[in-house]
Amino acid sequence: MNDKMTRKGFVALTGATSLAAFLAACGGSSSSSSSSAGGDTAAAGSSAAAAPALDPATEAGGPIEVFTWAGYDNKDAPWMWDQYETGAYGKDSPLKFTFLEDDQQALAKVASGYNPDIIHPCIAYTQQWAAAELIQPLDMSLLPDYAGIPEAISAGGIVDGKQYFLPFDVGFSCLTYDADVIDFEKVGGEESWEILLDDRFKGRMALFSDDAAIIKIGFLINNGAKDPNVQTTEDIAASKETALKVKANLRNYWTSQTDTVNDFVNGNLDATYTWPDGYWKIKNNPKMKGRNIKYMQPTQGRLAWTCGMVLNSKTAQPGRATMAMASTNRPSAGAALTDNFQYASGQQAGVSELIKDKALVTAFQIDDPAAWSPPLAWFEAPLPNYKEFVAAGEEVKSA
Amino acid sequence: MAAAEPPLKRSRRETRNDGGSALSTYGLLAPTLLVLAAFFLLPLYYIFMFSVALRRFSPTEALASLNGELSGFTGELWSKLLGVGVTVKVPGLDVDVPLLLVAIVFVVLLVLAVTGSKLKDYGSWVVGVAFALLLVPFLTFPAGNNLVRVMELTSDGQYVRLFFKSVTMAMTSSVAAVLIAIPVAYFLAFCVERSKYTWLLIVIAPFLTSYLLRVFAWKVILGDQGLINSGLMAIGLVDQENPLTFLIYSQFTVIVVLTYAWVPFICLPIFLSFQTIDRRLLEAAMDLGATRMQAFRKISLPIIAPGIVAAFLFVFIPSIGEYITPTLVGGVNGTMYGQSLATQFVGGAFNWQFGSVMALFLLGVVLLLTFATSRFLRAGGGGI
Repeated sequence: MNDKMTRKGFVALTGATSLAAFLAACGGSSSSSSSSAGGDTAAAGSSAAAAPALDPATEAGGPIEVFTWAGYDNKDAPWMWDQYETGAYGKDSPLKFTFLEDDQQALAKVASGYNPDIIHPCIAYTQQWAAAELIQPLDMSLLPDYAGIPEAISAGGIVDGKQYFLPFDVGFSCLTYDADVIDFEKVGGEESWEILLDDRFKGRMALFSDDAAIIKIGFLINNGAKDPNVQTTEDIAASKETALKVKANLRNYWTSQTDTVNDFVNGNLDATYTWPDGYWKIKNNPKMKGRNIKYMQPTQGRLAWTCGMVLNSKTAQPGRATMAMASTNRPSAGAALTDNFQYASGQQAGVSELIKDKALVTAFQIDDPAAWSPPLAWFEAPLPNYKEFVAAGEEVKSA
Repeated sequence: MAAAEPPLKRSRRETRNDGGSALSTYGLLAPTLLVLAAFFLLPLYYIFMFSVALRRFSPTEALASLNGELSGFTGELWSKLLGVGVTVKVPGLDVDVPLLLVAIVFVVLLVLAVTGSKLKDYGSWVVGVAFALLLVPFLTFPAGNNLVRVMELTSDGQYVRLFFKSVTMAMTSSVAAVLIAIPVAYFLAFCVERSKYTWLLIVIAPFLTSYLLRVFAWKVILGDQGLINSGLMAIGLVDQENPLTFLIYSQFTVIVVLTYAWVPFICLPIFLSFQTIDRRLLEAAMDLGATRMQAFRKISLPIIAPGIVAAFLFVFIPSIGEYITPTLVGGVNGTMYGQSLATQFVGGAFNWQFGSVMALFLLGVVLLLTFATSRFLRAGGGGI
């Protein structure tokens, strides 16, 4: 047998091997697509029926993967998960954490085939998660504290009459500003989103790079205290024009709150869009000692958000995963959330009393339902024309 | 008289050794080829299929809808990206032309720049003018948050406009990086002997730290109360209340950071080019009456040209699709094409097909540029 290999032969062999690998990969993708499709059909079937009563005891053990924001794992926030971890299934089905960067990235990642058991998105995206058949309805019998969540907060998590979403953290999104520098004289003397159009502060203000938020702020400036989640195509076009004017006065659109907090305390900004913890970090930073740092309550209303837990439609341990979610819904977890992260919690029954730092209750009006309702706060809601918001926001950012 | 010797007949052993040598040579290459197939060609295949909507990838209708997948081929995506007019701006004049015409002009200029030297008359002029016309629309001098320029290409189309801006920023940082790297490489090649490799290690030392850390370090240096502003304030050149705000969160910052990031990297190919220069050639040229400039142009430049072109491409290709740097320090005006492309996949737009079209367009431009300039990468400097 001739065991020599010519260059030509080698090239042919390598080519054939590469081609085979390539085709195998394509074929593999097709077959996995088929099996996934089957799996999804099954999931779709289960979502069409009423949420099944789950029996955690019959489920095989193994790690339960939680896809959450950095800081919400059992090392940094043990108070969220301790009930589950010390409970009946904590050892047999231990929690494992991976971190997401933002809602869109999380949705894209799970849509691409990543399958954590529990995901921690924000409520405005629930319909997209459900429509893509990535999540399943919750078995409410495994959520004993659910009744403590006000309907106003949980409503956004209902799709086709079924609860897919367990609210956990709730907060405002608004401008933190240095009142020694920023005044509202030119915009009527009251705190207002219109301050973003005041060119006296050009280059000293920043906003979050979220496309929908950029357009919602434009809408609030144009229309006053009116629900920014409900915008027609014409409204979005007008909001975009205002957002472009706002952009001319901005220094940057931030992607990490830590960055903008650093920019503020290092003197690069006088006003920036933050969540409550961002405001608290700026206000209490040693460099800001003696400065009059405020969290704006604009006449048009603050933006507000609700994030929480959803259950992957493909989880092998839906019962145990739901029990882990239930652990985050206890009043003690809600109070610890405020004490540690300065957010309010979806769970509100008896939480205020458990919060240790009462200054936080006052600062964020946690015990004042009016502060958390329109027209003082506009909660994120699922946007039927979400893609229009995103396209307009992208146009503003890339202009 | 000795007759011409007949060609030697190669023994079986020699032939077998050749075969073995070829096998071992290609054997070394095989893992790379397989990796290339798996991690370049395969993703490219997927991107292409997405871009033409000839195959649906999402396993369910619901996911396909979320990912913005179309059900069949349509030119809509491509026309959304390319079907826009381009405005060529020169001082005092704006001319609107179709994008296709601009593309044709650029390909012609590229061909002239690469092959012009073969012309009998005015060859070097043709090459020079073609190069200048290729560079001028994208070469800028960053002045504050604006870019000062002789000629500008812009468009009403959001993505094409962003693409031109990205090319401009990448081109400016590439040219700046090459201009900075040449004297450094010259120093390494000719000015130090024993400590050459110690210096080389010092030059590439920034690579020992993470890229993100280096970008964040620039924020400390360029911030309103950073090293530069504080220094200028201390010596009274800048007012305490009015720091130089363009230093951070501007196109200027992106260009500075990209230039800084790539200079150590591209010192290497230019240094290697300098190393290949035989100094006796330069001495001979001078002995024969050439000026220093003539010796550099006729001898040094052709030898180091491949290194310079390779260095330019090393910076330009990754910079044009940059995502991290403009996100961290770009500010509202420093947005680049790569960020918009990423948005289509993971940033909320959920339009994988349009993202694929954007990616293929970028790939096409980069391939065209690489193919055209590959001539210069050959030893001897190609057309120069």
